[in-house]
Amino acid sequence: MPPEGASPSSAALSTPAIALRGLTKTFGKTTAVRDLDLNVPAGALYGVIGPNGAGKTTIIRMILSILMPDRGSLSVLGHASALEAKDRIGYLPEERGLYKKMRVGAFLTYMAQLKGNDGADLPRRVHQWLERVGLAEVEKKRCDELSKGMQQKVQFVAALIHRPDLIILDEPFSGLDPVNQRLVRELVLDEHRRGATVLFSTHVMVHAEQLCDHVVMIHRGAKVLDDGIANIKARFDPRSLLFEPLDPAADVRVLASLPGVSELRRDGSSWELVLSPQADRSAVIRAVASTLTPCRLELRRPTLEDVFVNIVTADADDSEAAALRAAVRDSALTEGGVRS
Amino acid sequence: MKKMLQIAKHEFLATAGTRAFILGMLMTPVLIGLMIFVLPKVMQKGAPKVEGQVAIIDPTGQVTAGLRAYLQPEEMAKRKQEDLRKMQEAMPAPLRTGGASAGVTQAAIDEALKKALGEVPRLEVKPLESTVDLEAEKRPLAETLPKEMASRERLVLIVVHQDAVELAPGKNEFGSYDLFIRGKLDDRVVSEIGNGLRDAIIGARLRTSGLDRTKIDALTKVERVQSRTVTASGENATNQVLNMLMPAGMMGLLLMSVLLSGVYLMTTTVEEKGNRVMEVLLSAVSPMELMTGKIVGQLAIGLLMLVLYLALGLMALASFASLGMLDPWLIVYLFVFFLLAYASIGAFMAAIGSAVNEMRDAQGLMMPVTMMMMVPWVLWMPISRDPNSLLAVVLSFVPPVSNFVIMLRMSSQTPPPAWQALLAIVVGAAGAYASIWFAAKVFRVGLLMYGKPPSFGTLIKWVRAA
Repeated sequence: MPPEGASPSSAALSTPAIALRGLTKTFGKTTAVRDLDLNVPAGALYGVIGPNGAGKTTIIRMILSILMPDRGSLSVLGHASALEAKDRIGYLPEERGLYKKMRVGAFLTYMAQLKGNDGADLPRRVHQWLERVGLAEVEKKRCDELSKGMQQKVQFVAALIHRPDLIILDEPFSGLDPVNQRLVRELVLDEHRRGATVLFSTHVMVHAEQLCDHVVMIHRGAKVLDDGIANIKARFDPRSLLFEPLDPAADVRVLASLPGVSELRRDGSSWELVLSPQADRSAVIRAVASTLTPCRLELRRPTLEDVFVNIVTADADDSEAAALRAAVRDSALTEGGVRS
Repeated sequence: MKKMLQIAKHEFLATAGTRAFILGMLMTPVLIGLMIFVLPKVMQKGAPKVEGQVAIIDPTGQVTAGLRAYLQPEEMAKRKQEDLRKMQEAMPAPLRTGGASAGVTQAAIDEALKKALGEVPRLEVKPLESTVDLEAEKRPLAETLPKEMASRERLVLIVVHQDAVELAPGKNEFGSYDLFIRGKLDDRVVSEIGNGLRDAIIGARLRTSGLDRTKIDALTKVERVQSRTVTASGENATNQVLNMLMPAGMMGLLLMSVLLSGVYLMTTTVEEKGNRVMEVLLSAVSPMELMTGKIVGQLAIGLLMLVLYLALGLMALASFASLGMLDPWLIVYLFVFFLLAYASIGAFMAAIGSAVNEMRDAQGLMMPVTMMMMVPWVLWMPISRDPNSLLAVVLSFVPPVSNFVIMLRMSSQTPPPAWQALLAIVVGAAGAYASIWFAAKVFRVGLLMYGKPPSFGTLIKWVRAA
């Protein structure tokens, strides 16, 4: 384990933290994960995204050797099984809980001990972590005396208290309010800066956009995309502008005839100007601004949600695509996914 | 290994540190103590003070005097003392009270008699003419007199049949009597009056037949003596109570410690699954480490109970001066069979706990365990009476029941041969291994299964799949 604040060595960086080859898992007649190949370099921050039921949790459980794959091989922190490296892994499961009758400090101490940390500085570390998440005063309280948000923070601390080299978080933002989402995001980034490899799953794509430098998309148990955020944005650039006139009564349809604009369509309270393949974006922006005074004019950025829907509906008809898009948006909204 | 021990330690402290466990551990000996020492004293307590009139219509004219003599307070007190003496003789020495134990002084007997006299009912026998109106004489039974006139309150009305003492012509059976009593009259007083009537009528019949009652009483009396058990180590007064209680006590101790620690194991597993803390644990330890740690933790709980109650039992035996009845090897076997029985049943309970989401879901799956645990209790009496019967021998080799049955047999007066005990250990160990193998497979699959509680068939499928 690297010392606090240190970065992983070059040797460690050269070995992937996680390497999966042809991983397949079936439950009865359902194939939860099929032929999955994945490399997560040491020190990376990876997001595994996909809608509910895509197979993300099964992948994570196989990485952790909680479930055994039917086919394929894996390597975790250089070992053929996570069982051999459990003390170097921090895991926050989607279905997480606490010993209700246990005191918070005792619970965290027990969890750290199970991860091989039982040094003399453990009480101090427990206290420091609780201070870090703003829960120093609850150390002696029983877990069932805490609010749900506090319990989630304690669970999060339990996953990180032993300073793991590999952190696996299954839906870490699930059930958190925006303030705690921000806190968790900061903690994850801190751990990443410390040198830990972070792999987290989410079905709320905005969370992945905010946090990851690399994204793996899973759909029906199969990997449909595995790339860096910057590459994805470049590859899936929608080449369109979002426009909103300063004067709500202005006739926006005139913009459709501007050079470089191939299509004009309504997008809620805004208008989307789809650019022709050869159009120069800066020239179109200047032309739009000189035709109608905008209160909003920006290049449309591809969201992971758009990318996901585009990929999985490549062969589907419009109604299927619309249904999938609605489903992805609904799940994001119910989990409090906030674009910030 | 270290993590397994950490889980075991957590399991032990999480169970033994609860108020419910500590209270339960303390309450059981207290309740047993109450049953042994306090209940008999409560049962012995005399009837509430009763005072009143026993009216008798005696057309034979030969019963009343006998009844009056029988209900004299001094006579009642003597009988009570005699009953007490017999009861105390049947008891182990430490439970006896001073009044009737062997070697007490005459002064102590007189004192006890005096005490008893104060407790017996004061019954005045009032003869009525045979010609009285029966219905009118029944009425006072329903009337309540002022407290100062309580001694004149009618408690009982007896109507002796005309042919109660002498056979009626043409009949070969004697008559008896009718008894009318006041509501809520203590049953012990009614019983005493009934005994008095029986005694008086028999006395009258013997007199009229010209027979000598004293002689007949002497001829029909055979004192029941206490047997003495002759063993290789000597001769001792037979203690039937302890002879019966010892095997039941040993088996009960085994059953209780195995069942309670098994139930604790199942409960904590269900709780961990229900609390969703299971997957967090599985990220730190393997399912086998988790299961083993939990089993070892609760094994310590079972051993704690076993040691505590065994110590209490030994103290009780020592206080009855009967410690010699216990073969020290029995204690060794008790621990061996505890380990085997606990491994079999505890592992199975852990598997059930891992398979369900709530305790109530576990009821159906617990049925086979509950039934297995019932077998030794149901068969306790027949096996105790004949510890070497075919049934007892066969059940000694059917795990996990074998662990309890062999313990029952070994603590009996005719223990089985040593080879049977050793074979029972081998069979018990094989049963424990099979149970742990089955449990490990169910545990691995069940831990992460949520939703509909599985049936026993589903568990078998999991075992095949794992």
